Amino acid sequence: MPYTQRSTVYNSPIANLGMIPSPRSLRAANLLLVAFVLLCAAIASASDWSGPEGQLASKVAAVTGPGAVALEITNRSSLTHGEFDEISRGLRSQLATLGLRFVNADQAAATVKISFSEDLQNYVWIAEIHQGAGKSSVVMLSTPRGGGTPSGHDVAAIIIHKALLWSQPRRILDVAVMDGNPTHMAVLDANQVALYRLESGHWQPEQSLSIAHARPWPRDLRGRLVLRKDHLLDAYLPGVFCRSTTNLPLALNCHESADPWPLGTDQINLGAFFTPSRNYFTGALAPAVGKQTAAPPFYSAAALPRDKYTLWLLAAVDGQIHLLDGVSDQAAGKLDWGSDIASVHSACGSGWNILATGSGDGTADSLRAFDVPDREPVAVSQSAEFRGPITALWTETSGNSAIAVSRNLEMGDYEAFRLSFTCGQ
Amino acid sequence: MRHSALASLAASSLLWLGTAQAATRPHYGGTLRVAMRTAPTSLDPADTAQSGSLESSNLSSLLFDTLVTLDDRGRPQPALAISWQPEPGGQRWQFKLRRGVTFQDGTPVTADQVAASLRVANPNWKVLPAGDEIIVERDSPAADLPVELAQPRNGIAKRDGPNILGTGPFAISQWQASKKLILAANNDYWAGRPFVDSIEITMGQGFREQAISLDLEKADLIEVAPEQAHRSVGEGRHIENSAPTELMALAFSRDGQSADEGRLREALALSIDRAALSKVLLQGGGEPASGLLPNWMTGYDFLFPTNADLAGARQARAEVRQVSAWSLAYEANDPVARLVAERIVLNARDVGLTVQMTNSGIPDARLVRIPIVSLDARLALMAMAESLRLPQPAPAENSSEDLYAAESMLLNSHQVIPLLHLRSSYGMNASVNDWSTAPNGSWHLSDVWLSTDK
Repeated sequence: MPYTQRSTVYNSPIANLGMIPSPRSLRAANLLLVAFVLLCAAIASASDWSGPEGQLASKVAAVTGPGAVALEITNRSSLTHGEFDEISRGLRSQLATLGLRFVNADQAAATVKISFSEDLQNYVWIAEIHQGAGKSSVVMLSTPRGGGTPSGHDVAAIIIHKALLWSQPRRILDVAVMDGNPTHMAVLDANQVALYRLESGHWQPEQSLSIAHARPWPRDLRGRLVLRKDHLLDAYLPGVFCRSTTNLPLALNCHESADPWPLGTDQINLGAFFTPSRNYFTGALAPAVGKQTAAPPFYSAAALPRDKYTLWLLAAVDGQIHLLDGVSDQAAGKLDWGSDIASVHSACGSGWNILATGSGDGTADSLRAFDVPDREPVAVSQSAEFRGPITALWTETSGNSAIAVSRNLEMGDYEAFRLSFTCGQ
Repeated sequence: MRHSALASLAASSLLWLGTAQAATRPHYGGTLRVAMRTAPTSLDPADTAQSGSLESSNLSSLLFDTLVTLDDRGRPQPALAISWQPEPGGQRWQFKLRRGVTFQDGTPVTADQVAASLRVANPNWKVLPAGDEIIVERDSPAADLPVELAQPRNGIAKRDGPNILGTGPFAISQWQASKKLILAANNDYWAGRPFVDSIEITMGQGFREQAISLDLEKADLIEVAPEQAHRSVGEGRHIENSAPTELMALAFSRDGQSADEGRLREALALSIDRAALSKVLLQGGGEPASGLLPNWMTGYDFLFPTNADLAGARQARAEVRQVSAWSLAYEANDPVARLVAERIVLNARDVGLTVQMTNSGIPDARLVRIPIVSLDARLALMAMAESLRLPQPAPAENSSEDLYAAESMLLNSHQVIPLLHLRSSYGMNASVNDWSTAPNGSWHLSDVWLSTDK
């Protein structure tokens, strides 16, 4: 059997795809979305464990036979308290179905000590069974380790909603969701643009478009998808530009290119040249910000439309945040933001907000929304937590939401989230 | 209401800004200065005199790629081979080579060179080039061949007299055997150029010398003895510890020979206070071990009890009439080994056994350190058995139950008494970012980058 890459993992699609969100409907939809996602997660996890529970119960019952046992269950793994409780209940139920009754040790014919442990790839569930004088057995069961979705946060001025779109072992560079009937999603990684179709609530693979490139990709690879009106999408990667065809089945035409990457949205336009062998923008701008055609090398940019101009924030390679208003380049005070910033039209407060990555301990990351009333950013949301570093953050083409990609350090997979926003109290 | 919410958020944001460390994308450039104890005389990955230790594996992976690599969960992933498949029976495998890869001198990698390299490392294998594929034929079914090919000793090298070239992320700029190695980033590396421009590795430096180098800012990355890691943190150094990567064990020179000898060895195993070894002597730099492989690798190691059982030990000792003394050898240059050996002598005496420390002649037992050479538990167990000169275990499948049975069988031979699983510890200065290791301690130096304010 030929080796293949580990297959991609299905995740619950976001519930409000296909809607045209007004601020009010967005708020309601997102509340429903949170409830829906939590419900889906609960249902999914409940059904996930029944198989291994039944298998372990059968192995235990094959040793003990039906009768009275003293049962002790211990968690030695990364299972959460909730998961542990749920699996323990399921296991007890399965054992009871097989004729085991649970009693105190002094009344038991056997003691069964079950440990939920884990190795690198699997949960390892182990039952140590002691029967009579010195007679003991060990039975084990391995089941692949899965992951959950971190929960949201308290009510604040702006509430960030994270909806997991997709996860896969290969690094995700960007994701674009195309509303329609059916809804489609494009996932950009180093090798391809993969297209998926939303069907009965599941993302079904539709087409995979290879990305041809002559030179090795740089480390910390970055890339961006931009939806287009006259054709489906463009993909920007270091030194490479790809344009899709218009009609199905799609094709992707890639060629070496030094053209600037579009950093704005449908409403705000800015182009910046990306260094083909590194992980940052050179600082050359085309089109320019007002009269400014150059800025320090930077990792990411975020736009804040004002009445008469657009203020651009650049997360520069030197660690500073630069504010470009078309005339002057002003370095913000020490903000300690991460390298990735993006702007979104949240319709809360001043309307446009900055999303900035934070943390920096390498084990987890967070993202927070800021208002910039003048030149000093003020936090307007709680931190949305991620289970690993955020490796990509892009404003979606519409400007109303953003895509964040994080590497889940626990699972090792890259996870792409759509970030949407509702106004708090 | 809205105002107060914003005000409280603004206040909390100041706290967040003040305490959070900036997360930034990696910077390119700079020279990473590394100090290490190992002083290899050769960089050839197939040199059996050098290979096997964690340090030599780490050096090898900087210069050489393997056909297959293991991710941090031990799953085979493409490297120089992009796909592979066994033929029916599992003795013969085909590996399709990645196109466009070059050696560090710019010459393209060919199937002939890959086959020649693998034959050097594995003289008993039949390795043939076939177009852009490699055929590997083994004497018996080899279900784990991709995992085996991920071993650093199977790094692909082009050998030209004394010169050796790889396809890895770094190329040799300067090499003084046993003393100094300077590496330059491979700009055309197929998996992406490393972030740092170069690495300077000073070899043959003791732990103390390395600590001084770090304190004087002459080194960016140093090794720290497991037992010193805790103290080093107290002294203000930034220390990173891996999961346990090494087994410290008592290895007997001869097999159990008789039931009495086996019972006495069991008594010795029960007498050892591993918790004290871990907490007192190792200062938390290791974990008590009664199994060969650590729990992070198998999930079942806790089934082997580590607590001392003096009553059980005395009972086992009392069942044997004739008791002779064992001689115990340890690595003279390893101060911790001496302390551990002394503690074992005392523990044994408490239950009526005699162990005498020696560093001459052929000892009855040796205190050994054995690295975990693979992230694959089955392969790691087999390599450990080979190092300990134990019979090769043959787990029927790669299931936890089979592995547990195979490991239990090795332990029941009474030829080895596991003592501790030791961590690898590293000290680094503040300019080193994104340092990480695989669970078995392998470096990911290509991902390390240096802050610009260095």
